[in-house]
Order: sequence, then structure tokens, then C-alpha cells
Amino acid sequence: MKLSPEEKSIMDKMQAGILSTDGFLGNDQRHLHEIIEEDAEKLLHFNYSLEQIAERMRYFTEMSREAYDLPVVIEGKYAVQQDIWRGRVICPYNHKGSYVKADIRLKNLENQIEVRWTPLNIHFIEVHGFFEGIGSKYRLNPETLIKAIF
Amino acid sequence: MIILYNILTATVISGLLALILVIAEYLFANYGDCKISVNNKKELVVKGGGNLLNALAENKIFIPSACGGRGSCGFCKVRVLAGGGPVLPTEKPYLSAKEISDNVRLSCQVKIRQDLQINIPEELFNIKKFKARVKEIIDYTYDVKGVTFELIEPNIVEFKAGQYMQLESPKYEKSKQSVSRAYSISSIPDMKNAVQLIIRRVPDGICTTWVHDYMKVGDIVNLTGPFGDFFIRDTDADIIFVAGGSGKAPIKSMVEFAEKYENPRKMTYFFGARTLKDLYLTEDFREHEKKMKDFTYVPVLSAPDPDDQWEGKTGYIPPYFAEYIREPKNTEAYLCGSPGMISAVEKELVKLGVPKDKVYYDSFG
Repeated sequence: MKLSPEEKSIMDKMQAGILSTDGFLGNDQRHLHEIIEEDAEKLLHFNYSLEQIAERMRYFTEMSREAYDLPVVIEGKYAVQQDIWRGRVICPYNHKGSYVKADIRLKNLENQIEVRWTPLNIHFIEVHGFFEGIGSKYRLNPETLIKAIF
Repeated sequence: MIILYNILTATVISGLLALILVIAEYLFANYGDCKISVNNKKELVVKGGGNLLNALAENKIFIPSACGGRGSCGFCKVRVLAGGGPVLPTEKPYLSAKEISDNVRLSCQVKIRQDLQINIPEELFNIKKFKARVKEIIDYTYDVKGVTFELIEPNIVEFKAGQYMQLESPKYEKSKQSVSRAYSISSIPDMKNAVQLIIRRVPDGICTTWVHDYMKVGDIVNLTGPFGDFFIRDTDADIIFVAGGSGKAPIKSMVEFAEKYENPRKMTYFFGARTLKDLYLTEDFREHEKKMKDFTYVPVLSAPDPDDQWEGKTGYIPPYFAEYIREPKNTEAYLCGSPGMISAVEKELVKLGVPKDKVYYDSFG
């Protein structure tokens, strides 16, 4: 599949060593469209929209922040802890705004599933349906993510 | 099929035309010398054709920029009152409607084609670019290093305790480009010929990965600064410091400065960490306690390991405030850390009676 100049620019910015050391594509050789479409197909098996997933991730992120960024158990079921660093990161899609450099770790205490994300991941999912490429440090498998946060 | 062919043809033609324009501008455009009037008090003469950010830097006026002029950080904002041309699509994502109406532009995207009139904050005139040598690297914890840079050219820096510098990482194995990142100065302003920065590793971070895994003593680096308005106000009010992680850096500088000049103000420093392995410089701050009779250091662990055998304070920091604040209305607070920590602490301090306008902070977010 041929890339448009805009898509090429986006994928270039997603490479390792541009906006972060590891980038957002991991070792995934697929076209960006394929990555997004295949994850969208996986989502069809569940009854959650991208917006609902992002909203839930945002909820945990904010609850953890309100708890002074300390480890916290939310709804008696989700252990969440957050680390924040100085600085912000921008979206490779060139959207307005920037995202706090943070790492949010959630463990579902009932099924023991653990997931990890950044504020940029929430934006990726909500606006672009992008869960990152396979092999990327912050890749979120949609099925695992849904099982962890709902 | 015909429609697709037409679209492809149009795309190719427009691409070619754009390429021809770029080449033509490169080969034939000659803007000659252009004047840049800065704040109506300084006039620079620069060769036209370049961008404003670089032209200012060549004239030793350093506008904060984290991406080195690639239009991807949105930090290098200046007001262009005349001569800047229209706002480019590459700038719009970083500018609010109000900023656009106030003639704010990204200086890296403003091409100099004619005389310009610009406005910048006065304090930027004090910012310099330094060539420096890495003098010492100390491992404070598993993810925090203290790096001392000996200044080479210029060899003296003037700053206030609490301000920060931008460190430029070079291209290296893990980064295809040089980037600049901000780190608070942790050394005392009196040192003048060197600065220490405290740098915590950011997962996937281009600059901190370089500092933690590649930087060596003797390396030559570039620093720009000082920046920021986080510094101790000159009053006699009591002081509460609160910091976590690498937020210790500016407070270290402030406390060391206060000790050197025998500042008599009552000061209490709460440092929040998760476990014992996240604490650092504890002995140094115990020494400050011995030397300053009204200084108290209070480390608080939020989730100590049982193996830590920690007997100090645990949990949240705010519940301990009441024990140390003697006169809330005559107390100033200096906070450095995450936005969550800062808003939680500010809320509690205000609840106790500390005036909101006396809460100063340097937020990571």
C-alpha cells in the first residue's frame, strides 16, 4: 500500500529515535492503516467503542493523579500507580497540544491482568484508533486492555 | 479509474510544482540584509532567508526550544508585530486563537524575508548558550543522576536558585536528531563556573537515555539558560518546600543557598518518595539541619517495602503540614513535581490558611 506524503510524515515521526527512543511502531512492518484496521477488527468482538476505552483510561489516570500520584486501589478492584516526569510529548499526527510524560500502570486485582499506558496512548486510541505497533513498549493489545480496565 | 488517474496526476503535478518552488527559492531568492527590531530597543541586521529562531540565536538571543527548530515542540513563541507574513499551517496546532490575534508566532517557522519587528520577554536577554564539559556524574538512585557541567564558553553563569537550564543531547545510537530538554539546576548560584543538574531517567526519553546510558565524564555538551521564575521571594515568611523525584533539584539549590547566606527564615522541606531506594541526598539534608537551626528535613515514603524497615513518616505528605506550619498566613510554599502532587498540596495548604498567592511551583506537567 502506497503512503501519502502526510502518512509518510506521520510514520516517519513514529520511528524509533524521533519523538522517543523506541518510537511507536515497535518491530511491526505493517502499514499504519493495517495496524489500525486489524485492531479495529479485534474490537468488534467486544462491546466497547474507542471513546469508551479512552474515557476509562482517562478516568484511571485522573483518579491516580488526584491520589497524589501515589499507588491507589480504585473501585476496590484496580491497583493503579503513576509516574510523571518533567516535559511533554507531542502526537506524531501533528495535533494541537502536547501530552504529559507519564507512565500509568494498572493491575486488575480480580483477573491479575496488568497494562501500562501513557497519556499519549489515550489520545492515540480515542482520536486515531491506534494501539501502537506490535513490539512497541507501550503497545496495548485491545483485548488485554479491555479485560484489564472494564 | 479515470477519477483515480486524475487525482494521481494532480498530486504528482502539485508535488513537482512545490519541489520546483523550493529549488527556485533556494537558488534564486535573495532577500539581502534584513533588520530585526527587538522590543524597540535593539536592532539586529541579519541575512534574509533563514528562520527567526536561528537568526536570534546567532545574535545571542536564545528563545526556549525543545526540538531545535523543527516545529514540533511549540516552545519558541515570540510576538511578531510586523514583517512575519501569515501564520503557517505548521504553526497553527501550537497557537491558541488569542495568541494568533496577539501576533504570537513560532519563531522557528517565521522565515525572514523582510524587516521584522518583534517583542520578547525581557528576561530572555539574560539567556546564554554555554559550551560545557561533563565534570562529574553521580548515581543518586537507580534512576536519578546528578551531573556536574564545567562551563567552558562562556565560563560563568548567573542564575537564581530554582531556575533551570536546557541540555542538548546530540544525535546518538538511540536518536536520529539532537533534542533539548529542561532540567532544574541543583547547585548553588555562587559556584558560577559550573552547574549541577539532577536528571531522572524517563522511559523512552531521548535526552535522559543519553545522559544515563551514554554520557561520560569529559564529554563536551551544550547548555542554554537560565530559564524560569521559580525562586525564593525576598520576604521573612516561613517556608514550606515540597518535592518528589527529580523535583529535589531546585530545592537543593535553594536550601544550600540559604545555608551559605545564613538565611534565618524557618524552613521545612518535605520530600516524597515511594520506597527507600527512591530517597537520596538524605545525609546532606541532615547536615543542613545541623547547620541551620530553623531548617527541618522531612522525608515521607508513600509505599515503603517491608524490607526497608522504614521508621519515618509514611503515606501522604499533606497530613503532616499542620505539625510544622506555625503561622499559615505568614508562610510561603515552594513546590516542585508532578501536577497531581502540586494541586493536592496546594489545596491542603490553602485549606490550612496559607495564602494561595504565596504558593509558588514548578510543575512537571
